[in-house]
Amino acid sequence: MLAVKKLTKKFSAPSGDVQALSDISLKVESGQFVSIIGKSGSGKSTLLSMLGALDIPTSGSIEVDGVDLAKLSSKQQTSYRAKTIGFVFQQYNLIPNLSALENVMLALEFGGHKSAGRREEAARLLKQVGLDDQQIQRKPARLSGGQQQRVAIARAIANNPALILADEPTGNLDSETGQKIFDLLHKLSRSQNTTIIAVTHDLDIAGKTDKTFTLKDGKITTK
Amino acid sequence: MNVVSRGIKNATRSPLRNGAIVLMLAISIGLVLSMLVARSSVRTKINDVMASAGTKVTINAAGINGFAGGGNPLTAANVTTIKDTAHVSSITSTLTDQLGTSDTNLVSSIDLGSFGARQNRFFDSGSTTITPSDGSAPSGDTTTRPEIKPRISVTGTTNPNSSSVNGGSLTISSGKTIDATGSDLVALVGKNLATKNNLSTGSTFTAYGKTITVSGIYSTGNTFTDNGVIMPLATLQSLTSQPGAVTSIAATIDSSANVDSTVAALKKSLGDSVDVTSDAAQAETSVSALQGIASLSLAGVIGAAIAATTIILLAMVIVVRERRREIGVLKAIGGSNLKVVGQFVVESLTITITAAIVGLALGILVSGPMTNALADSSSSRPSSATTTMMRPGAGGGFGRGFSQLRTNFSNITASLTPQIFLSAVGITLGVAILGSLLPAWLIARVRPAEVLRTE
Repeated sequence: MLAVKKLTKKFSAPSGDVQALSDISLKVESGQFVSIIGKSGSGKSTLLSMLGALDIPTSGSIEVDGVDLAKLSSKQQTSYRAKTIGFVFQQYNLIPNLSALENVMLALEFGGHKSAGRREEAARLLKQVGLDDQQIQRKPARLSGGQQQRVAIARAIANNPALILADEPTGNLDSETGQKIFDLLHKLSRSQNTTIIAVTHDLDIAGKTDKTFTLKDGKITTK
Repeated sequence: MNVVSRGIKNATRSPLRNGAIVLMLAISIGLVLSMLVARSSVRTKINDVMASAGTKVTINAAGINGFAGGGNPLTAANVTTIKDTAHVSSITSTLTDQLGTSDTNLVSSIDLGSFGARQNRFFDSGSTTITPSDGSAPSGDTTTRPEIKPRISVTGTTNPNSSSVNGGSLTISSGKTIDATGSDLVALVGKNLATKNNLSTGSTFTAYGKTITVSGIYSTGNTFTDNGVIMPLATLQSLTSQPGAVTSIAATIDSSANVDSTVAALKKSLGDSVDVTSDAAQAETSVSALQGIASLSLAGVIGAAIAATTIILLAMVIVVRERRREIGVLKAIGGSNLKVVGQFVVESLTITITAAIVGLALGILVSGPMTNALADSSSSRPSSATTTMMRPGAGGGFGRGFSQLRTNFSNITASLTPQIFLSAVGITLGVAILGSLLPAWLIARVRPAEVLRTE
């Protein structure tokens, strides 16, 4: 499903080029729950950006279902981000002036979902991740961290993506809530055959995923 | 929710700040509308003045200026020559005279005053000797002379309503106008003179030894003119024993393009015995201050539009900078540049349209007073005050036409036409579009990976 071949990413900095990723190659099958661990600055988030078509590699390739992301046009990249992948961020990154329901409706709109029935579909997704009728009407500031992350997950799965990219999804949550969020992602992976790639510091959580890659200084050291 | 509804919702995101932006924009847009109204009103006035004066030519007997100077009046032959000159479409002939105490039983409504005494010091009339100590003679003048009484102007004309006769502002307050083409012993009497002599419609008075019937009472708003008598030209010519004589002719030329050539032709045919002047030059001078207001108004429109554009531009740039992360997230979850930019443009438009509604309402309210204030401030400038400020009773034959500038300013009517309103709306839309261009460009440049990595 996902094949990364000899992926390299360099950033220009005043002090010279910085090698964020170096010769990364990995494969992930459909429906797998994969974790990527590593210290800060090891290149985890950069790798996730590459997989999400938010950034382009310096060299190498990323193929999702046989499509090379580097060869996509800007418009195709936008469509890929809207329909093929879902993002879950450590900081949740919900739109603050929209309610939980409207945040999910926004993803449905970007995914090309017809406006009729968008509200009902968003409500269904939010209930699926464990929010009640009152909570889905609230703006992010009036939700707890765990509830906000559930909204972010509902937003990520809104368009039935083949791949969910989660950047430290439990990083801002207490261990109990973090475990619940992990369980929710794990359940989605199993029930909807969605591939999930999660960056995490939590070795306990990483230990429960199907596969774990360890990054160090931009290179994969263990698989 | 869609791009439009999100953009509108975002416009209410910071009520206090956006309220302040709306207020500032509204003031600018209101100013744009007010300045457009002022400019349009003044331009209309300029066009009116130029259209009415641009084809007028005045022919005066050389050496005669009102009741001063000397020389001979124009003759009937002169009048025929003028009438027959190419491009002259119509003429108004005028003969002026003054009624002294021996000519009429009327008493002037104007006090002599020191000005009148000085003007009359060369004349020798009346029977009561006065001395300089009574204050009616110029300071330092110790000459002993008979008492002087102000005279009454009498105008014979072929058209009492002509601006060459009354400055263009004659209204009949009672009775009816005269048949100026006839030679009946009838007259229009100025309201001040009528009041002084207890005259009303149908009353009679004597002049040049004849009994004249008052056909109507007129008012011009000018103290000197309202102390006068207007009668048919032929009547005055007969009463003064000057058959065919006129002191001034106002000719209307068929087109402003023919004025110069007609003036040249008249000068050539009439020779040095007449002075031929075009009113267009005087009108140009008269409206020069109005041109200044029009230019000032245009500068106001441009300045206010630039201010409005700057306000919305800076406001939206600040908004975009504040929401860089949000823009990055929108793009990361699949928002296209078009949709994300569109959302911010709608937000900008919402703020601008709200400001436009307030500003245009404000502009409608203040455009009239602002136009008047501009006209007042310009008419009170020293350069024009010298021609507009006249004491009651002074001027008259010398000042005819000088009141035109005052009339120009006082008659400016601020009117908001649909075209002006649409122009203001168009400028507002332009402001919104220009104010959104830079923010849109900034949004398009936001790279989600960079934003999410660095913030």
